[in-house]
Amino acid sequence: MQHDKPLILAIQKVITENARVKSFSFDYDFPGKPGQFVMVWIPGYDEKPFGIVKIDGKFLITVAAVGDSTKALHKMRVGDKLGFRGPYGSYFSLSKSKKPIAMVAGGYGMASLALLAQEARKSRRDVHLFLGARNKNELLYLSWAKKIGLKLHLSTDDGSAGFKGYNTDLFAKEVDKIKPEKVYVVGPEIMEVKVAKTCYEKNIPFEVSLERYMKCGFGICGQCCVDPTGWRMCVEGPVLNQDQLSHVTEFGKYHRTPSGKIIHYK
Amino acid sequence: MAELSVNLAGIKLRNPLILASGIMGVSTASMKFVEKNGAGAVTMKSIGPVDRVGHKNPTVYSWGEGLHNAVGLSNPGAQEGRDHLKDMMRTLSIPVVASCFADTVDNIAKVAATMLEAKPAILELNLSCPNTEDDFGRMFALDVKATERAVTLVKKIAGKTKIFAKLSPDTADIVDIGKAAEAAGADGLTAINTLSGLVIDVHLKRPVLTNKMGGLSGPAIKPVAVRAVYNLYKAVKIPIIGTGGVNTGEDAIELIMAGAAAIGVGSAIYYRGIDVFKKITDEMKEFMEKEGYKSVGEMRGVAHKS
Repeated sequence: MQHDKPLILAIQKVITENARVKSFSFDYDFPGKPGQFVMVWIPGYDEKPFGIVKIDGKFLITVAAVGDSTKALHKMRVGDKLGFRGPYGSYFSLSKSKKPIAMVAGGYGMASLALLAQEARKSRRDVHLFLGARNKNELLYLSWAKKIGLKLHLSTDDGSAGFKGYNTDLFAKEVDKIKPEKVYVVGPEIMEVKVAKTCYEKNIPFEVSLERYMKCGFGICGQCCVDPTGWRMCVEGPVLNQDQLSHVTEFGKYHRTPSGKIIHYK
Repeated sequence: MAELSVNLAGIKLRNPLILASGIMGVSTASMKFVEKNGAGAVTMKSIGPVDRVGHKNPTVYSWGEGLHNAVGLSNPGAQEGRDHLKDMMRTLSIPVVASCFADTVDNIAKVAATMLEAKPAILELNLSCPNTEDDFGRMFALDVKATERAVTLVKKIAGKTKIFAKLSPDTADIVDIGKAAEAAGADGLTAINTLSGLVIDVHLKRPVLTNKMGGLSGPAIKPVAVRAVYNLYKAVKIPIIGTGGVNTGEDAIELIMAGAAAIGVGSAIYYRGIDVFKKITDEMKEFMEKEGYKSVGEMRGVAHKS
């Protein structure tokens, strides 16, 4: 069942992940495949896309307080209501083999990968997670990752946990030992570009989730179309494989604002 | 063999389906994607005087029996809009319909002048977006005099570009407005724009759209579009792009039988996917072959003979 009219759900639990990030869980098994997203209506503020996460059977979203709307969301309490549309977008593909896979997650990327990691672990596959953050407090879902048996390759900018530096460098160093069947990448675009480069060089299949500003979420407004294919990141994306991504020339170079202006990445 | 190509105000279209304004029209790439999926022409997103981010989300959703939107005319402004238009015209092989709006009649003429530098086949004057009341006031298309003046001013500078006026159904009599546009020299009409509506979420006890009011589109508004096109067809000689709630080949033919020369398609992409253009043209062909129609023109306005 896809919800195209906002489905209103009350917050059941608020989990403080770290100083800037909270998760909110809801008593509803929101449908969705790994990598798909929901449009979350924060009444009076905005509606934004978030990855669908299910931890211990609970549907949740993970939110960093970065702007007005997410700061407002952080102030919400148990019982407060949000609207949800979705699930939307393309999703990650997982083969039936038992070969190891690797995930590279930065920022809040882990929110889009958690469902996939769980699915892979159900069939006892080795899942190598290259989780990067600024410091050890910002490594998302760490205790959950340990609990479901992910093989952790941690990195932090300040060296407070794991490798001191970027997860992209750690990944490039260790990927040959792991020999993953496929690599799944979600994080800031600059991180995704680096991992994609490594994978193209080493000829390893991969999938990335490419985020673009969204309005409708279901493929009509054209806001999230990428150049030069015109693919909508809410329908043909956000998950693209290495062959699809090779056609997207704007990847790592620029994106469009809500008015349609092009902004180049620095 | 049923022939789908049509002549719209002297412009040849490979089929009568035109991507409606405000749908997918953000970039050249998104328009090219629509062309590949079978549209006969595309309309770019409406361009205004200056860069405008539009309303905050929620801006588009389904209310259950159709779509409801108040995107708020987000656009990059006239200069960049004209450059986008040029790029679209260079890249696409089907005609690109430019679209523009503004807060006053004089300003829409200014934006039109900038867009006309690109020499598009058609320029559609969006006289009737329902979603900017707060900052723009009442829409022109509700007013006979303002419609007349806007069309007159733009027609003077149009050159070879055909000028279409897009009309709102939220008016006492759309026919009066249509006749005023024709008298002022419009080459065609587009009917209808979305209908203004309000949806309140009873659980959150507030309107869903950030703008509160928004335009209704999709199958629920089709009978309103058919009525508008039917009545306009009786009253004017200029061609009409019939738009509103077309999801299938039979929906398109219904509007053609009411008098439409071409058909706008928008929300149908939500209902049936981006390849809806190909689906609708296939269905039209099937209908025409079954009913013995050789061309789209043969079906135009036939409902008036009954």
